[in-house]
Amino acid sequence: MVATLEKTGVGADQEIRPRRRTLVLDVITYTVLVVSSLLVLGPFLLSTMTSLKSSKQFAAEPATSFPSPLTADSYVGLIQGNYGFGRSILVTAVVSLVIVVGQTVFSVFAAYAFARLEFPGRDFLFWAYLSTLMVPGVVTMIPLYLLLSESGLRNTFWALVLPFVFGSPYAIFLLRQHFLSLPTDLISAARLDGAGHLRILWHVVVPLSKPVVSTLAVITAVTHWNSFLWPLIITSGDRWQVITVATANLQTQFNGNWTLVMAATTIAIVPLLALFVAFHKTIVSSLTIKGFN
Amino acid sequence: MKRSISTLVTVGLTLGLAACSGTGDGGDDNTVTFRIWSDDAVAAAYEQSFAEFTAQNPDITVQINQVPWANYWDKLRADLSGGGGDDIFWVNAPNYASYADNGNLVNISELLPDAVSDWEPSAVEKYTRDGSLWGVPQLIDGGKVLYYNKKLVSDAEVDLADLTWDPSNEQADTFLQALKKLTVDSAGRTADQPGFDPGAVTQYGFNAAWDFDAIVGNFIASNGGLYQDSGKYVFADDPASVDAIEYAVDLINDDHVAPSSADTNDNLDFSRDQFLQGKLAVFESGAYNLANISEGADFEWGITPIPAGPSGRIPVTNSIIAAGNSASENSEATQKVLDWIGSEEGSEPLGANGALIPAVTGAQQSYFDFWASKGVDATLFPAGVQNGVLKNDPVPGAQAASADLDSAFKEIFSGRVGDIQEALKEAQDNANEQISG
Amino acid sequence: MPGVVRSTRRRREILSGYAFLLPSLIGISVFLAVPIVTVVWLSFQKWDLIGPAEFIGLDNFRAVLTDGRFLHSLIVTTLFVAAALPLQTVLGLGLGMFLERRVPGSAVFRVVLLLPWVAAPLALGIVWKWIFAPTDGLLNAIVGQRIEWLATPSLVLPAIVVVSVWTNIGYVSLFFAAGLRAIPSDVVDASRIDGAGRWHRFRYISLPLLRPTMFFVLVTGLISSFQVFDTAYALAPNGGPERAGDVVTGRIYYEAFQSFQFGRAAVMALVLFVILVVFTLLQQRYFRSRTTYEVA
Repeated sequence: MVATLEKTGVGADQEIRPRRRTLVLDVITYTVLVVSSLLVLGPFLLSTMTSLKSSKQFAAEPATSFPSPLTADSYVGLIQGNYGFGRSILVTAVVSLVIVVGQTVFSVFAAYAFARLEFPGRDFLFWAYLSTLMVPGVVTMIPLYLLLSESGLRNTFWALVLPFVFGSPYAIFLLRQHFLSLPTDLISAARLDGAGHLRILWHVVVPLSKPVVSTLAVITAVTHWNSFLWPLIITSGDRWQVITVATANLQTQFNGNWTLVMAATTIAIVPLLALFVAFHKTIVSSLTIKGFN
Repeated sequence: MKRSISTLVTVGLTLGLAACSGTGDGGDDNTVTFRIWSDDAVAAAYEQSFAEFTAQNPDITVQINQVPWANYWDKLRADLSGGGGDDIFWVNAPNYASYADNGNLVNISELLPDAVSDWEPSAVEKYTRDGSLWGVPQLIDGGKVLYYNKKLVSDAEVDLADLTWDPSNEQADTFLQALKKLTVDSAGRTADQPGFDPGAVTQYGFNAAWDFDAIVGNFIASNGGLYQDSGKYVFADDPASVDAIEYAVDLINDDHVAPSSADTNDNLDFSRDQFLQGKLAVFESGAYNLANISEGADFEWGITPIPAGPSGRIPVTNSIIAAGNSASENSEATQKVLDWIGSEEGSEPLGANGALIPAVTGAQQSYFDFWASKGVDATLFPAGVQNGVLKNDPVPGAQAASADLDSAFKEIFSGRVGDIQEALKEAQDNANEQISG
Repeated sequence: MPGVVRSTRRRREILSGYAFLLPSLIGISVFLAVPIVTVVWLSFQKWDLIGPAEFIGLDNFRAVLTDGRFLHSLIVTTLFVAAALPLQTVLGLGLGMFLERRVPGSAVFRVVLLLPWVAAPLALGIVWKWIFAPTDGLLNAIVGQRIEWLATPSLVLPAIVVVSVWTNIGYVSLFFAAGLRAIPSDVVDASRIDGAGRWHRFRYISLPLLRPTMFFVLVTGLISSFQVFDTAYALAPNGGPERAGDVVTGRIYYEAFQSFQFGRAAVMALVLFVILVVFTLLQQRYFRSRTTYEVA
């Protein structure tokens, strides 16, 4: 039995799936996409405008007014100021990276076990995993905080990372669904060839799953980049401050300092967008399996 | 190739950061952690103060930790639940009672008995519970003032000095008369003129709203009413309070001299923003907005005492204390820092940057000097409390009732409620039930 | 001989299964299961977070299940989910389909549509407040009328739904785009050759093959929309006018950190948990018989 894999990207797609590009459908497509994009961008336009206003103008004029003068003071102030913002970017980046790597690897293992291996208690465990998503974090946070406190891990790098690095039920769910959809024949073929599960996982299943794994990695990165409540509770002070907390710290009791906050939020989005762009090709590529026998 | 380099860099960064992770909070024995809610100006002031402290006590450094204001109380509670938290942390009146009762706070009456007389008496009183003082007063509010837009006021030919308000006597209510002259619609008519269109107001006279600290509490107190008493809410049982609240509500919905509650209920900044945009003539607020107005207003403005009610000019006042964490592992150094921040020398930088008034009476002059140099007579704030303040003992468990009270008052201020007295009674009884439950 | 091979095989498979699960099992047990068990234990205690915990049996359950505000928040949240989940799923599916047509520039659209999900909620919350503001608000400027969006009880929840859907459709479309991509072209081509119309192709070929994706999107969507917090908190602090925007997680947070009744908050969390388990099981039952995982 021979199966060949063919990777399709945007260009190749045209060949394999010849779609008659009707003009009407294209026009509709563009209309939908453009309108959606404008609706999405609207609020961001407001936030970017705010970040480019002087705080005086922000105080003296309605929030929807156009910046005049257009100024980058907020951005400069953030970087030069004593807000610990630069360090928070570094901390957030490293924490997110460690979590993404650990979580992806361990979730892949677990998902494969749930999807392709049979062992007693498998389904029960899967649903048990999933059910942990159903208890709101706002309550589980306190016992978790106490747990880490007792272990002496309060305000450390590991406190930010450990609860998440061993896998996440959400990731395991996503991957398991995907692994379930892979053709059994391919895997059976490898088994018959004498490959152990580990080998199958890393040499057959994972290469087939690059788009999903990349998507998952990006989702995990975004989720932890924007994580707020847990880092807020478990850390104190500048040393392990993450971006979200540093941004919230820009506000005072009586002044929202929105020009600064918007600038901080805009800066915080940029690395995530860069991540998307970097992984984009892998995420949108599709692998079609052609030909058996 | 690229991949392995980026891997190396990442590994290096991770190891580097992890290596610097240390043991968590505190760190060295001689670092005292000091927590405030986020405020850059205040943090800078404290840094100055602590630099001097470390110069005099070279073996102790103080680390300032800022926590976002919006989440300060959640984090404090969580930290204290785990036996953590910083060595010294700010607390305010609505929040400190449960920590005092639970033994989380250092007893300042025992620690620094001689220093108590240096501090603002109203603050000391507010934070005294079961006979002991539970923190070192740091900042006070004084009373409230009326910020006013000089041009708008002079255009309307209104004199804001010696205004009086009275819920039961229209003749004596010179305050309302003035406000009507200051409220203008799009056709240029003021609120006391026939044909005034309340739906087309371009300039409001006043910022009446559901804002207890800035508006409602002051009306209640100036009318001789009570809001809380002996651990319960009593505002509905006290006719003076009911009248005061109704007066404030009517300013919005009947007299139309203040913006709609739809604008102000969920946005306490609205009125200040309107004032800064020149669309609000008189803005009643406290010292906490002085910096915002000073920096944001591009017109000439001034401050003047609040109008006198039937019982006089009695405001709400607030203050902040720095409490010592009784679970601190560093108590000796912490005590020294507490002593320092309660001293004139330690508090002076706080006043000198104009953020708020130091509670250490000897350090207050720096605050007044700062604002005098900007042409503002900031002595009006502490002067505002000379005639007394709203009696405001912290009600244990008041937090439990706050959301429902908030909703109830917002409903009342929206003007949708027919019988205000009844609605207040319902809200009060509901709140008292929640506190005890 | 085959018997022996099979059982060794089986044993290896079982061992591998547990071995593969081990890291996540440890992690989830320690950092998720233990806190959840603690929460269950706390539901029988009276605890204000700083003092000692006091056992009070079923008092918390009694209090919560007769708490009008809590029950009201369950209704509000259910209404929210009933509106937001279908909307974001259908619109996300639509967007996914249009994106998968791969018109030139799709990559840019993909990234733009993800912006709402990528941005931190703090800033977006206030921006939406500016959009909905009665005075000088963007929406009122467009509509030309003064509508008090967030102060009118009947408009608050729709506003929250709109913002929530806005935040999520780009993210949902990611999954549907991937799901559509995974449908082997032969199947679709075959049906086209057979003369099936576009809608027919979609309804009877693509949609069923999208079921695994749909299952994932709906299950995770349900779980997360029932736990909506940031959006509701920003637009309707303290529940909003006549508590029309009072969602369950808001109540839980309030009960824990304002009323200092952590035991009751724990009970509320458990009620939410039970609701989610029931709904998820229902979904699973619906999809189980109808889902084809492979196209072999």
